[in-house]
Amino acid sequence: MESDWGSPRFVAEQFHRWYQSNARAIPAPTEIKQREFAFLQFGGKTMFRHIGFPDELTFQRYLKDNGPAHSYHSSSYYQRPEADMAGKGWVGADLVFDIDADHFDLPCQHEHDTWKCKNCDEEGTGKHPEICKCGKAAFEEETWLCERCLQAAKHETQKLLDMLIQDLGFSPAGDLVVNFSGNRGYHVHVRSPRARDLDQSGRREVVDYILGTGLKAEYLGFNLRAKGGRSTLADEGWRGRAGRALYDYIASTPPEEIKALKLGRKITNLIVNERDKALTILEESHPSILLKAVDLSDDEKLMSDLSKLMEIAVKSQAADIDTVVTTDIHRLIRLPNTLHGKTGWQVQTIELDGLPDYDPMTSAIAFRSGEAKVYVRHAPKVRIAGAEYGPYTQEAVTVPMAVALFLLCKKGARIEP
Amino acid sequence: MLEREAAKYPFLTEAAKLVDALNLQLDDLASPAYEKVLDRAAERVVQAIEDGAVDDALDDYMTELLSFPIAVMFVSAKGEPFLNRRYALAEAVRVYFLLQDEERDKLAQIARDDFGWALKDSGERYDGVLHDFRLHFHDYLRSSSSFHEDKWKLVNRIVKNGYVLLTQREVARLIQGEAEILIKDRLKPVKINLPEPIQRRLDRVSKVFEENRTRLGGEGLPSEVINEAFPPCIRFCMEGLLAGRRASHMERFALTSFLVTVGMPLDSLVDLYTSVSDFDPAMTKYQVEHIAGVKGNRTKYTPPLCDTLRTHGICRNKDDICERIKHPLSYYRIKARRLAYQKPPLPPQASNITQQSQ
Ligand code: SF4
Ligand SMILES: [Zn+2]
Ligand SMILES: [Zn+2]
Repeated sequence: MESDWGSPRFVAEQFHRWYQSNARAIPAPTEIKQREFAFLQFGGKTMFRHIGFPDELTFQRYLKDNGPAHSYHSSSYYQRPEADMAGKGWVGADLVFDIDADHFDLPCQHEHDTWKCKNCDEEGTGKHPEICKCGKAAFEEETWLCERCLQAAKHETQKLLDMLIQDLGFSPAGDLVVNFSGNRGYHVHVRSPRARDLDQSGRREVVDYILGTGLKAEYLGFNLRAKGGRSTLADEGWRGRAGRALYDYIASTPPEEIKALKLGRKITNLIVNERDKALTILEESHPSILLKAVDLSDDEKLMSDLSKLMEIAVKSQAADIDTVVTTDIHRLIRLPNTLHGKTGWQVQTIELDGLPDYDPMTSAIAFRSGEAKVYVRHAPKVRIAGAEYGPYTQEAVTVPMAVALFLLCKKGARIEP
Repeated sequence: MLEREAAKYPFLTEAAKLVDALNLQLDDLASPAYEKVLDRAAERVVQAIEDGAVDDALDDYMTELLSFPIAVMFVSAKGEPFLNRRYALAEAVRVYFLLQDEERDKLAQIARDDFGWALKDSGERYDGVLHDFRLHFHDYLRSSSSFHEDKWKLVNRIVKNGYVLLTQREVARLIQGEAEILIKDRLKPVKINLPEPIQRRLDRVSKVFEENRTRLGGEGLPSEVINEAFPPCIRFCMEGLLAGRRASHMERFALTSFLVTVGMPLDSLVDLYTSVSDFDPAMTKYQVEHIAGVKGNRTKYTPPLCDTLRTHGICRNKDDICERIKHPLSYYRIKARRLAYQKPPLPPQASNITQQSQ
């Protein structure tokens, strides 16, 4: 029976038990009285929203009593969090960032993600197409994860943190909270008076900054009229980042790829055939020298070629955040340290210093004892707490509880009675 | 605060206090002693409507200072969002003129003491340009929120440790931005009965506003420009502009060169730009004329090819005509011909940009 997959009642019971013993260790978010909370139960379709808590104890009791599948709180602060949207009285909002490997294009997705058209049975790996060959756009998806997607998400998170700290000046100790999202990514919360009252257009500017959107190299040193100066590679902010991005791009891109861009003859020649010269200029001199080394006869063509190059190059330095989450000033975001109903893992707050070595597949495991027998319809190989499991296809296995819950939450298995 | 300072920057809290201290009532203002004040108040609004900038006359401090709140009252009484924007901007432009002559310390004082900005001294040189100041990005984003040029985008600034590096000129421009916000905030709709001498000035303001309304709204364009025949990319640029979206250089270039080529008069174009946002009228005029080939190297620019527009993400909502052409102007020609077959020519007022975009 289709609906059996995932054995929601079994999982709900496990979650409930976990909350019974762990709820009191879950700290309430700061300024709890001004936050809206929202929860989803297993098997439930409606979200319980507009919930407010007067204090931490009431909040923890709610978790303990209900053992929710998914728990959220508002990034915003409200005068009346329990009122409907119009009556809430927005006071401000943390600046939040969502980095989710779901949005990346990664080779490993073809190994562990599959899709199937609900209409014509067409199927494939990786991300499903926007529209199926048959013209319909309804798909069944199976998305798993592996060390590589988690690593990619962590890498983007580190770039983001670098910009938030070095460029925007937020304090790693006081302003920033980093959470493993419980699935394929990370959330960064910025709690600072200087972030709180930013309006939507201000937040959009921050998003553009993090993504390098709208970057024009001519304002970052790549300007023919600039009166000299030093190399920008070691400079702060996007000035340095843009220079380094171009440097890396020139140093590491195969000639065919550069030629395919169909840039001007002289610029192509400089960065393909005289690559070392171009790199030396960037290392030792002001970027305007590089432009002058190309050609001075057609400024406009030169600058448009440069922006073509930059647009590609900048991606390596930008951090791949979800734009909607950050610009939405009424966003609900996962409650740190609760459980994620699609993995059975814990949404975990991570010390900034600990991030480089953080491994969610070891640390975020909530269910550390017991085992269960499950029948797996399909699961790729996963590595949990240092041991490998699977791949499984239509077989019954007895595995540690954490693994069982992961397979169940992903709907790839059901409890074998 | 000195009267002279208050007259220059009447929107600051300190200046408002000075006015409050006089405890003037509406009826007092109706007395002949305040004729000059009332005239100057009306003039401020009229200049805003007609020129897009209030002049920076300073020969009579009290008149300058007192005429400001009355001008604000006039604009508020009209309750026209469009006039609000235009007036706030025109006053802000006046502030910018005045700031040009101020010492660096005076700028810093307004920014820090009156606006509460986290503005610090700097002295770093980048690309040969001295950056006198650094401003916290939080204050920067707010004060620059109505600016549309690429150079104001945060990503194109030098940002370190939370601070944006700025030249003295740029700080003056940001103060202008903040002044615009502050003035706009004061323009709240009011309903009051005004004594006759004051009402008379308001009537004059209303008359000027009505006379200019069409021109400023971008209406009344010649009927030979067929807006309905604009290709989707140009509509996209136009709608973005009217909606106040930050237009990229390419968007503006595409739009301007297209409109010039299809025969929109340069003045209407300049009005169109300056009416919808913070474009500096003089600068806009220069740019428009440059693209039209009147200024600069005298090349008349034609709009870019579809290919180029596609690269810049401006080619949007393609339709069947788009499949047959390589240039937006070809689109315009084909569509115009089609429209001519389909229906009789539209009366002039039905084919204007404002309606087109709604
Ligand atoms: S194809 Fe050309 S005319 Fe059509 S929308 Fe794209 S750029 Fe505009
Ligand atoms: Zn199909
Ligand atoms: Zn993976």
